[in-house]
Amino acid sequence: MAWVKLWVMAYRDLTRSRRRTFFTLLAVALGLALLIVLNGFIAGVVDDALQNSIRLQTGHVQVRAASYPDDKRSLRWQELIERPATLVAQALAMPEVATAAPVLWADAVLNTSRESVGLQLYGIDVASPLYDPIRRALVAGEFLAANDRSGVLMGKRLADSLELPLGATVSLVTIDANGQPQEALFVIRGLFDSGVLVYDEGAIFMPLAKAQAYTLVGDRASAVMLLLHDKESAGQVAAALAAPGLQTLTWRQLNALFIQTMDTAMIFYMFLDAIVMLIVAVIIANTLLMAVFERIREIGILAALGLKRRQIMQMMLFEASIIALAGIVVGVILGLFGVALLTQYGFVMGEMAGVASTIPMSAVLYARFAPATFAWLSLWTFIIALLASLYPAWFAARLEPVEALHTN
Amino acid sequence: MSIIELSDISKSYRIGEVETRAVDGVSLSIEAGEFMALVGPSGSGKTTLLQIMGCLDKPDRGAVVINGQDVTRLNANRRADLRRDVIGFIFQFFALVPVLDAYENVELPLLLSGVGARERKERTLELLDAVGLSDRIHHRPDQLSGGQQQRVAIARSLVKRPLMVLADEPTANLDTANGEQAMEIMRRLNAQTGAAFIFATHDPRVMSFARRTVRMVDGRIVDDRVVQ
Repeated sequence: MAWVKLWVMAYRDLTRSRRRTFFTLLAVALGLALLIVLNGFIAGVVDDALQNSIRLQTGHVQVRAASYPDDKRSLRWQELIERPATLVAQALAMPEVATAAPVLWADAVLNTSRESVGLQLYGIDVASPLYDPIRRALVAGEFLAANDRSGVLMGKRLADSLELPLGATVSLVTIDANGQPQEALFVIRGLFDSGVLVYDEGAIFMPLAKAQAYTLVGDRASAVMLLLHDKESAGQVAAALAAPGLQTLTWRQLNALFIQTMDTAMIFYMFLDAIVMLIVAVIIANTLLMAVFERIREIGILAALGLKRRQIMQMMLFEASIIALAGIVVGVILGLFGVALLTQYGFVMGEMAGVASTIPMSAVLYARFAPATFAWLSLWTFIIALLASLYPAWFAARLEPVEALHTN
Repeated sequence: MSIIELSDISKSYRIGEVETRAVDGVSLSIEAGEFMALVGPSGSGKTTLLQIMGCLDKPDRGAVVINGQDVTRLNANRRADLRRDVIGFIFQFFALVPVLDAYENVELPLLLSGVGARERKERTLELLDAVGLSDRIHHRPDQLSGGQQQRVAIARSLVKRPLMVLADEPTANLDTANGEQAMEIMRRLNAQTGAAFIFATHDPRVMSFARRTVRMVDGRIVDDRVVQ
């Protein structure tokens, strides 16, 4: 029963200096809310970029010729896949595979009367659901037809920056499979706005057959891209498709640089988390230490009545727990509200999204609810608050009753 | 039978470079039910001696035996147990817990001793009634006068039915009427409960109530007499 009274005393002690308690609680709440919003936002950004990369760039699994180089978009015959349709059929027969399609990648330069822009050319299977994101992102014109021999799709942002209207004719130059420059005229059939600046400003799409003819690669493709029902089965699917002369890569391998970059960034964010928690800890320690200094004689009285050091320490830890728990409740509410706002309205990155050209970041970034992370942050805030209160509690408990009683 | 036995107690304090001997070779025996005043001028060592008797402080030399047990070398927890179970305290500055009301202040030592709820309530209300505060049980210290606060402290000191109550200048912050009322209550409760009362004081009003007066000067007992 004594511990119940210790809780009551701890609670009432907190109401003695309400302003100080309120501001300490506010510091805990704002600190935790900041951490929740920050972590929810980071989780959203990482998810968004990885999702964009998988959906638009890498797929869950890619099959390439074993000799296809990692560092350039080669069009040499021996570095391309022959008869990609066979591989596509083999992949589509697997239950884990949602869709599969060949793709041809090439570097190209788009020339207008005023300037030239380097682009990545995608020769795509226009019927494949793999390109649904681009299909949905169309803002003008129409999607490509498989037999379109002169149409291309490009980002609206790029078209706007080059002042090219829908239907305009543009000149594209590439280096073909034989290493010779090839120039051809194309008509802008549609404009898309995917929200991912890497695509909206740096990609041009044309039907696979036209791209193959234009680059003189025959019926070859750079890769066969697969989307799976569950990305965790990528390893299993890649292993099943492995064959001599081919390399099969999973989304983890294809996004290794991105994942590694994000892991490094996470360490930085963990430092940020730690700094915020440290500030909260210092505020709690300061509040409790002030409370102890104000109540030294009272602690002496309690000791004289027979309260043991352990019980005095408990009482101070109870005070810290009450502040921490109340702060955590308010902090979680504020934090979730902040995350909800960022989930709904997002954070407009604008041109900043294109700064990291290798990361397919959306122009508007949204937060994501990450319940496990939020629970960990709350738990850590509580633990840190208790750790921070150990010194004031220990200080109070080790006071000699006779000295405490004679303190004014 | 003596409830506390002090043998050759000495205690010194160091303040800066100066060492002051507060208690110097004191031996004293106190019987159950005594109503005793420890008197002397400021700095004579009576408060220090009271703190040693109350296990709030340890002597540098000598032995303290309470109820047959040598308590001189007990650790902090055992001394806390002893304070909780056999000693009541009344301080000059009333010393109530400000966040607890009168009832809770008196009940607190019983809670710490693990006394059951029904008995706690009975004993707490009985003591508050005995000090004339039945109508103030839910008032917090800042809602009580000085005299009322000291009466709550008296009730609290007795609620555990201790062997002895140690009171340090209990009337120093009270006016004449409240001081005399507090002393009357303590004398009555001394008779009713059988607990020994030991006062450190230089207030003549308190001395006039005492049945035994021990006078200290410069840390030594210079006179010990029973008042008829």
